[in-house]
Amino acid sequence: MNSTVVTYLSQSKELTLATEWLTKALGFNASSLVAFIVFAVVCLIVVGVMSTIGGLGTYAERKISADLQMRVGPNRVGPYGILQFLADGVKMILKEDIIPSGADRFTFILAPFLCLIGVFATLAVVPFSSGFMLADLNVGIFYLLGMASLVGVGVFLGGYASNSKWSMLGGMRGASQIISYEIPATITIISIVLLAGGLSMGTLIGGQGGMPQQWYLFHNPFSFIGFFIFFIASLAETNRAPFDLPEAESELVSGYHTEYSGMRFGLFALAEYIEVFVVCGVATALFLGGYKVPFDLGTGSILVEKLGMDEMLAKNLGQILEIGSFFTKTLGLYYVVIWVRWTLPRLRVDQLMTLCWKYLTPIAIFNLLGCAVWMYAFDGKSIYSLLFESVASVAGHH
Amino acid sequence: MINLGTYLGISFALFICGILVMVARKNIIAILLGIELILNASALNFAAYTKFSNNNIDGHIMSLFIIVTAAAEAAVGLGIVIRFFQLRESIHIDDAASLQN
Amino acid sequence: MFTNTLFLLSAALTIGGAFAVVYSENLMHACIFLLASFFGVAGLYACIGADFLAATQLVVYAGGVVILMLFAIMLTGGTANNFNRFGLEKIAAMGNKKTYFMAGITAVVSSLVLLKIIANVLRNQSSAALEANLPTVERIGTVLATDHILAFEISSVLLLGALIGAAVISRPRTEKND
Repeated sequence: MNSTVVTYLSQSKELTLATEWLTKALGFNASSLVAFIVFAVVCLIVVGVMSTIGGLGTYAERKISADLQMRVGPNRVGPYGILQFLADGVKMILKEDIIPSGADRFTFILAPFLCLIGVFATLAVVPFSSGFMLADLNVGIFYLLGMASLVGVGVFLGGYASNSKWSMLGGMRGASQIISYEIPATITIISIVLLAGGLSMGTLIGGQGGMPQQWYLFHNPFSFIGFFIFFIASLAETNRAPFDLPEAESELVSGYHTEYSGMRFGLFALAEYIEVFVVCGVATALFLGGYKVPFDLGTGSILVEKLGMDEMLAKNLGQILEIGSFFTKTLGLYYVVIWVRWTLPRLRVDQLMTLCWKYLTPIAIFNLLGCAVWMYAFDGKSIYSLLFESVASVAGHH
Repeated sequence: MINLGTYLGISFALFICGILVMVARKNIIAILLGIELILNASALNFAAYTKFSNNNIDGHIMSLFIIVTAAAEAAVGLGIVIRFFQLRESIHIDDAASLQN
Repeated sequence: MFTNTLFLLSAALTIGGAFAVVYSENLMHACIFLLASFFGVAGLYACIGADFLAATQLVVYAGGVVILMLFAIMLTGGTANNFNRFGLEKIAAMGNKKTYFMAGITAVVSSLVLLKIIANVLRNQSSAALEANLPTVERIGTVLATDHILAFEISSVLLLGALIGAAVISRPRTEKND
């Protein structure tokens, strides 16, 4: 079993002691059992935390939109209305679960689960910190792309199964949009893979540093443009405004989930908000330095040297700093996504396809070529280090 | 449990299912589904022989090319099906009996 | 232990999905079962250490081929003309007893041939310990760019041709009235 978080936690003394005790008590080597239990517990924690973040996402969306439109927003349930999402969840569970009489029952029931499975499966490789990552697969980002495309199937089937014209149009729009915008997003990811030299999340983040000038965002001009292409494409992939054509209220009522009620609709909404978080996390990992903290605080070696702390304690502190760094950047991007939604008007269908095929895809291919040429010409150095070197050599001449 | 025999058995089952779908169905898209199953069976065989026979990476390359070819085949095949439907208003394989129009 | 469980699950998903494709009377459901079967095959790849192949299987099939098939089903449904141009009744689109009988005979014949071929392997099961699974991404990249560079280039030309060909074939032709 090859899991980053299990490897990290097995360094601690308590877990080793527990394993020894269990081995004695049960009479066989319990290390594999302990690894499995630790992994299952961490999986439950990740899924729980992510569901809470998805729920809080709806609250944040309503509160931020209220701010942008000079309203108050939800303010009745709990302090500042922060428990609104729990109230919504209870309402959704208690609502009647309606399956339309003309619907394809099997597909109707399956579709929201396909969406949710696709999103939760991507959480396995999201790098929260160098130790707190479920699995650092060596095809990490590629696996994430494959699993995220399951959401498109879910959206399409949801639209088909409802047996309603609005749902059908919404589902077809959603699926065509998702598979179209996957192309610029994937090509941009490939250009970053070229810079880092590996597909695993650890390699991708390991090539960057804690300071902004060490991020891939500022590595070269092409990756700077690439960040914006990736961000736009991932907005479209998650069906967020200004690309929320599948659920355009003014034309399609609410698109592919028109006929869904109760918790089935809730699953669609939850999948959408968690997917936005995952996509923002990927943008953070690829371009904004991921979980890296400045001055090597993440490994905790400085704390051990200067303050003489216990090694494991320093490491844990470093992990907490890394998780904080990752979540700060990701939630910042999350705020931008919501901000964009309540600021920009919606595109038309032909404008959407024109933007993807005539602008984003050619620019993404150009960026890929540019990154390749940059790596060849400047030996993989970033623009900052090149400037720094030239300044240093000029200073050396005088 | 994981050995060459089980893998060959699984790919054998996939292949037979593909043959059944291909022969029994009269819908062109359903026949394409059968072809995809058969291509998957062959790709699985290449990967299995790579692991259990010589651990040479060439089998993986072959599987990759099979997947690439399957994707191209699906794209062109479905394009032809849609064009055929525009001409004949049908995707029954027996309607595709002449070479012209 | 974990690998064995994963293997059993994937094998059940693969074979179950494939059988459901055979017995499903609804084309849309057959497509969903095909997706399940593809996921099972990806799991089988992962069990024998072909991690890059597994991810490719997910990306190409789940994201590309299955959605393409679903689109084609949606764009071609709707008409039910049960008679061909000679006025004879056609065989049902998803097959009837006669076609299943023919398919059964074909399957039996081809399975006899295949069993004859793989009988040797099934009889001589080697129980030698397997080597550990190594990451394959780097090796695949190296081999693709050196030994198999010609095939790689040809496949890129093939994909370009398929892209343009599919776009040209399925484009609706406007009738010229002048």
